[in-house]
Amino acid sequence: MIMMLPFLTAVLSIWFSLRGQRTASIGTWVVTFVIFLAWMKYHMTDSLNISL
Amino acid sequence: MNYQHALKQDASLLWSYWFNMIALVAVCGSLVVAFYWQIAFNELPCPLCQLQRVGLILAGIGFMLNLRFGPSAVHYAIILASAMGGAAASMRQVLLHIMPGDTGYGTALFGLHFYTWGLISFIVMMIFCAVMLCIDRNNMKAAATTAMASLTAVIIYFFFALTAANVVSSVMVCKFGACPDNPTEYVWKF
Repeated sequence: MIMMLPFLTAVLSIWFSLRGQRTASIGTWVVTFVIFLAWMKYHMTDSLNISL
Repeated sequence: MNYQHALKQDASLLWSYWFNMIALVAVCGSLVVAFYWQIAFNELPCPLCQLQRVGLILAGIGFMLNLRFGPSAVHYAIILASAMGGAAASMRQVLLHIMPGDTGYGTALFGLHFYTWGLISFIVMMIFCAVMLCIDRNNMKAAATTAMASLTAVIIYFFFALTAANVVSSVMVCKFGACPDNPTEYVWKF
């Protein structure tokens, strides 16, 4: 899992917003969010040592 | 109508602008504090810590869009989804260290660890969205704008710089592979 990837796409999203391109900014936000969810699945799905 | 022009005529829009500005400044402040601890005390971010930083930045993009293009339901949906994702990552880390005797990951700030502060921040963002959706109920028409107020530009460029710094930091801590669970030194130094 390349941890820098969601940061990189977030940088792109902010850059598009600075350029005034709202649709592109939201589009790259969606890409970042999907990567974020995938990385969460990778790092957060092993069992916890507690009983809930 | 241009968003900057509309700001001068509508009081609720002005309130919305300043609340979103404060929220984006708070997100930037959180990222600065995280960086300060990383650099000054050599507390490298674990994978979950980095995921929480991503959650903060994702929510910050929603605040930034409100500042740049005016308030919109889509922008608040972005903040809400990001806050829920970030809260899940924070909650996971809280649960990892919830057992009695566990000293937690990293040092505490004002008695709470950073991931606990993260969880509190993400919950506050959700409440913020609920309140702002009421305040902005008549302002939901994000407009394409060509100009930015100088204050807006300064804070967005600062947010951009912090996010870019996180790209460098994550490469230094994890390179281009999986991050170590408990990083103690940079795997890539310039």
